[in-house]
Amino acid sequence: MFPPEYLAVLDPFADEAKKIVGAAPPFDAMPQEIVERAVNRVKLSSKEMVVQPDLESIQAEILSFYLMCQGVASVSFPYSHETRLISNATRDTIRYRMYDLFKRGQEDLCMKAVRRSIKLVELEDGDRAKIGGTNIPREDFYKLRDQKLEEDGIETVDDRVLPQYLPKYGVRWTDIALLLRYRRAELTKLYLVGGWAILTARDLWDFYANFISVRTEEYVQSVYERIAESGAQPSKALVEVGGRISSLLPKELEFREKFARMPAGRLRPEFFPPCVNMALAGVGAGSRNYAIIMILTPFLSYARIAPSGRVATRVADFIDDISIVRDEIAPPIFEAAERCNPPFFKDQPQEKASIFYHMGFGMTTDPTLADSGRSKWYRMPNCSKIQMSASTLCKPDEFCRNIKNPLTYYFRKRSEHTRAGGGG
Amino acid sequence: MEMREATPEERKSFYTEEWNKREIPNFILHTLSLREFGFDLDGTGPSHRYNQFTTVEQLEDFMRNRAPYSAFTSVALYERPSAREGWLKAELVLDIDAKDLPLKTCGCSPGSVCERCIDGARKVAMEFAETLRGDLGLRDVNFVYSGRGFHVRVNDEAVMELEQTERGQIVEYLTGSVIPTDITMAFGYSKVFRERVARTFEALDEGQLLKVKGLRKSLVHRLMAEKARALEAFRTGRFEELSSFKDMGPKTFRQLVEFLRRVNSEFTDGKVTIDTKRILRLPSSLHSGVSMKCMFVRDIERFKLEDAVPKFIREGERP
Ligand code: SF4
Ligand SMILES: [Zn+2]
Repeated sequence: MFPPEYLAVLDPFADEAKKIVGAAPPFDAMPQEIVERAVNRVKLSSKEMVVQPDLESIQAEILSFYLMCQGVASVSFPYSHETRLISNATRDTIRYRMYDLFKRGQEDLCMKAVRRSIKLVELEDGDRAKIGGTNIPREDFYKLRDQKLEEDGIETVDDRVLPQYLPKYGVRWTDIALLLRYRRAELTKLYLVGGWAILTARDLWDFYANFISVRTEEYVQSVYERIAESGAQPSKALVEVGGRISSLLPKELEFREKFARMPAGRLRPEFFPPCVNMALAGVGAGSRNYAIIMILTPFLSYARIAPSGRVATRVADFIDDISIVRDEIAPPIFEAAERCNPPFFKDQPQEKASIFYHMGFGMTTDPTLADSGRSKWYRMPNCSKIQMSASTLCKPDEFCRNIKNPLTYYFRKRSEHTRAGGGG
Repeated sequence: MEMREATPEERKSFYTEEWNKREIPNFILHTLSLREFGFDLDGTGPSHRYNQFTTVEQLEDFMRNRAPYSAFTSVALYERPSAREGWLKAELVLDIDAKDLPLKTCGCSPGSVCERCIDGARKVAMEFAETLRGDLGLRDVNFVYSGRGFHVRVNDEAVMELEQTERGQIVEYLTGSVIPTDITMAFGYSKVFRERVARTFEALDEGQLLKVKGLRKSLVHRLMAEKARALEAFRTGRFEELSSFKDMGPKTFRQLVEFLRRVNSEFTDGKVTIDTKRILRLPSSLHSGVSMKCMFVRDIERFKLEDAVPKFIREGERP
């Protein structure tokens, strides 16, 4: 009764899902009901999370998922609040689906999906649960069960719920290191025996859903970098979906940001990538122009303003005080220019105006909000382009392995820091 | 035990007569050309960095000719070690420095070490290794005597690509510096935590306990008088037993556990573990500051400090 395509519902990154996307119309020409579902995905009720096992429903599910991701990537940035919103919603949805399917006797289907992402073994059964030759003490077995029941606030258990709370699987903890990295799991919260983490089905759904959620964030990042690569503006349809999702962000978030001790967008130099630090330190005549105009100007403006909610065409759409540009973004750029050898503006004073031109204010040295939009707000080039145009500036560190754009480096590092408890 | 600085002449004689490339452990030898080497050539600090040796013979030439004050190698493997670029992976390391151990009872002044605190460090290294091999199921767990403590160096592929966050969590697990959800489980982190807390509690004396916020003097006296009973309660996780001590309310108890947890976290320097580009003292080389050999330890149970004493100290030859 469940077609093979149904796996896509549990794993939007599975080949089954990719096939559906491949055969679909372009994302800027989706039928209205897909558009609506893409927007509504962040507020589904548990009943709405369940997808009927017919081809049409499966398609709608997958297409709306991708539309949601691409929409968000069009109007915000990796690890933005919007990204977090859709990644959390995706996690909750997948987790509920697993729970629900299992309850309805579809354990095999659940496990088929999970096994594609997580290598696992079943505990040796019999008199006592055993793994890698070690018996798991009876009491521990039941304590693990009760811990999970308590965590979920379940007091009365029935035969359909209980099996999901019994320790049943073993996973090498090193295979779920990704979840540790993103703080979706904690080593000291795992029950480890000989390198195996002992899990209940319910843990498994949780880990699996978190895997999909992390992948969703990475997918948004890759779309964002693709947009940066192309240099073109994202399509109107995507921008509209993204904008509508953005407007669903809880309002208190804005409130919190405004009154936080530190303005949320304030630049955090400790998260700058190596190329930006090199550019800030001042460079020689050969790459001066590129470092100041093509790297620092877009980097600092996008990083500081963090445009979200609509497509980034005008600075004025995102700030209502020009002093952010004049006092926070421009000074480090001008200082870096001064540190160049020879100083950049000494022989090329006209380039001062060029900086504001590249932020969209037209050729001026005295930008006002009203000028915003007179020229284009240039995007941050991808790493590959920087490596071609100014290879000496790219001195990648370990973190660079995970990104294709210096802005992604910044947003991602900042977000990991926040998650690790470092505070925003 | 004599721990004094080696003279340049002694360094020279060590590297010409005693040093042997065969004392470099395999886990370094087999990846030699992928590691960055750093040296302190004259005792002013390890400023001679970014060195790469493609063969052990090149390294040998360097050591014999330069007789460095200190020699280090990276825990990381790189595509281009001489530029510290192209990071491939890194050992998982724990640094247990005898001079920084909490709760020392040997009376060493801060910053110095004696045989007793080195033996304390050895025991901590063994505890960590047991958990690494047991709970975490890792292989290729090696010990190095650093000259004033121990390095535990894990070369299991399963952990070498981990990043900082994960490594930080491993430190928490090994040291027992997070209070577990359930303290009473027979296995897993719960057990590790109990063992570490018990070990820490055992080493505490009255003076140290008196400094714990919220612990009354009378309670401290009682805990010390019945230390064995308290210790047993920590070991078994039967904490009810502890609350039967007069004046041990839930809040006091929490403050005590919180204190123990914090002390636990000080048995290794987490900064070293999360630094995936760190350089560590090269096993086989001379720690000139204390005239000791940094050496690979094959059998940690039977480690004897004498084995790390270079000939020029043993023979008392002072040119
Ligand atoms: S890889 Fe990208 S972010 Fe890293 S230094 Fe090079 S250009 Fe900058
Ligand atoms: Zn001592």
